Amino acid sequence: MTSPRTSTREIVIDPLTRLEGHGRVHMFLDEAGAVDRAYLQIPELRGFEKFAQGRRSEDMPQITSRICGVCPMAHHMASAKTLDALYAVEPPPAARKIRELIYSALMVEDHALHFLFLGGPDFIVGPDAAAAKRNILGVVDLVGLDIGKEVIGVRKQLRDFVAAVTGKAIHPVFGLPGGISRGLTRELQSAAAAAAERAVAFALFALDAFRTTVLGNPAYVDLVTAEAYTHRTYYMGLVDAANRPNFYDGEVRVVDLQGAEFLRFPAAAYLDQVAEHVEPWTYMKFTFLKAVGWRGFTDGADSGVFSLAPLARINAADGMATPRAQEAYEELVATLGGKPVHHTLANHWARLVEMLYAAERMAELAADPEILGPDVRTIPTGIPTEGIGVVEAPRGTLFHHYRTDERKLITSANLIVATQNNAARIALSVDKAARALIRADSVDEGALNQVEMAYRAYDPCFGCATHSLPGTMPLVVEVRDAGGAVVREIRRG
Amino acid sequence: MLGLGNEYAGDDAVGVLAARALAPELDGVADVVESAASGLALLEVFQGYDHAVVLDSICTGRRPPGTVLELGLADLGPVAAPSLHQAGIPEMAAVAARLGLGFPARTRVLAVEVAIPPTFGEPLSAEVGAAVEPLRRRVREQVERWARAPAEPEGELGGAACTSTTR
Repeated sequence: MTSPRTSTREIVIDPLTRLEGHGRVHMFLDEAGAVDRAYLQIPELRGFEKFAQGRRSEDMPQITSRICGVCPMAHHMASAKTLDALYAVEPPPAARKIRELIYSALMVEDHALHFLFLGGPDFIVGPDAAAAKRNILGVVDLVGLDIGKEVIGVRKQLRDFVAAVTGKAIHPVFGLPGGISRGLTRELQSAAAAAAERAVAFALFALDAFRTTVLGNPAYVDLVTAEAYTHRTYYMGLVDAANRPNFYDGEVRVVDLQGAEFLRFPAAAYLDQVAEHVEPWTYMKFTFLKAVGWRGFTDGADSGVFSLAPLARINAADGMATPRAQEAYEELVATLGGKPVHHTLANHWARLVEMLYAAERMAELAADPEILGPDVRTIPTGIPTEGIGVVEAPRGTLFHHYRTDERKLITSANLIVATQNNAARIALSVDKAARALIRADSVDEGALNQVEMAYRAYDPCFGCATHSLPGTMPLVVEVRDAGGAVVREIRRG
Repeated sequence: MLGLGNEYAGDDAVGVLAARALAPELDGVADVVESAASGLALLEVFQGYDHAVVLDSICTGRRPPGTVLELGLADLGPVAAPSLHQAGIPEMAAVAARLGLGFPARTRVLAVEVAIPPTFGEPLSAEVGAAVEPLRRRVREQVERWARAPAEPEGELGGAACTSTTR
């Protein structure tokens, strides 16, 4: 009798396209040529925890902002909040508001780019479009130069503002234990208000474009709601006291498959609520809810798999904290049949709702007189021991956890990044989409792209500030027989 | 001159460290920028310049670590499957051109072959560290050539050393 292992064939997608960092998709086919199991495998960036040991705790916001070339501000802010916890100091109101203002600018900027350049190829250009068109330039061709310029323009205005406040837009010198390095001038307050006004307008435009392009196309709506892209899991997000998403601060809320509150806890309790599962085929650790347990890569109420990122934040909340975002939220929920929304591809829509919220929140904060307060630092006086901080990164909840010795030097540093927290659900998505869309005799570019769409919707970030060239990223698909020989190869790009 | 890389991540740091070492001798001659960012986040860095030298790591797996490659925009190949966050220099140049944004017409990339994955906290390996001095020399030569002939045609300098490189 032939063992299942020796009768399988393997399809490999490597490297993934339009995904930060570098990953590899393996698809193992059964004897009938259908996908038996698909894996998303992530290479490891080694040595960070050891590297952090012995470093000065107050240097961590600068160090961790260099971990990732994509969302350094998220790490910087999570690190600054961890230092607050570590030194047991509460930033003054002005510092808290300036931090949130800056962070809102980051969220607008990040989500805007994703909408047009990462998600855009899938929905604006189309999942079945030729690979040569399914890229940034293809999107620009379709949406027009003015829109492309506006994305760049909005982003530049936001980044210029952030750089003026934090020293550097990419690697800020800003967050300190107990506050920030400097306050906001009236001039910068005006710059924030102007950038926010432009961002709100752009977010409204983006939502309108989504309505026209995606919701106006029945085939796309079918794709968004397809079972191949649907998982019924728990959802996690940071919420304020009224259960509305807050990217900068709040408590972690988890809702169940029906949308009812399942857990609510402060960041410091994270390790009491979430555990990690290890698989032999990847360095990625898969987090799950301790209260439910690990049941493998499966969804349902008995599986501790949970999800993060925009859709999860929408699901974990009871509404949005700003008026126009609330309207957009209500439209999304009503259109997709109520909460929680289990359709992975709805992340693209949720991201736009969040972009509008971030832009409106930025405008609110810029108009807040308290933001000009001169007191932006509570000077720490105690000896730090341990701290956990949290923010909502664009890709989901991000935790930093530091321990220090009596010299205030780091003895351990653990970063639980959003993509790690999302990894189990992403693995589910890749597997389910591959099973639904791939067969040995029909491995074409469109099908492969639709598998990749399953994880791109989360905007996963495996990037770790490695910048190796070249800029082109050919996609290689290999079908291997049981002996490891390549029996088929598809190369694109 | 743009030095790219993560200064904390072993050989990935080579572009940043080489740029930092070169900065004093390029004072008044060129702006020197260090960055750990990637993709289109770098687009605005290039705006307003006519000439650019990019120092970075490269991982082809086809050359010994420490090998210095010199590439022009044409050498980096056509736009293909670009990523928002991993968009390469050709993608940035193409986007800039399409949107009417400025991008230096003469851009040279000096890249040092490295092995992956990088390890946090490691210094440059001996092989890659040995490439810093050749990098410095080649940047100086490039800057001097441009000083003599600012409109020097693209493509004469490095050859298509890496046209078909893939990860």
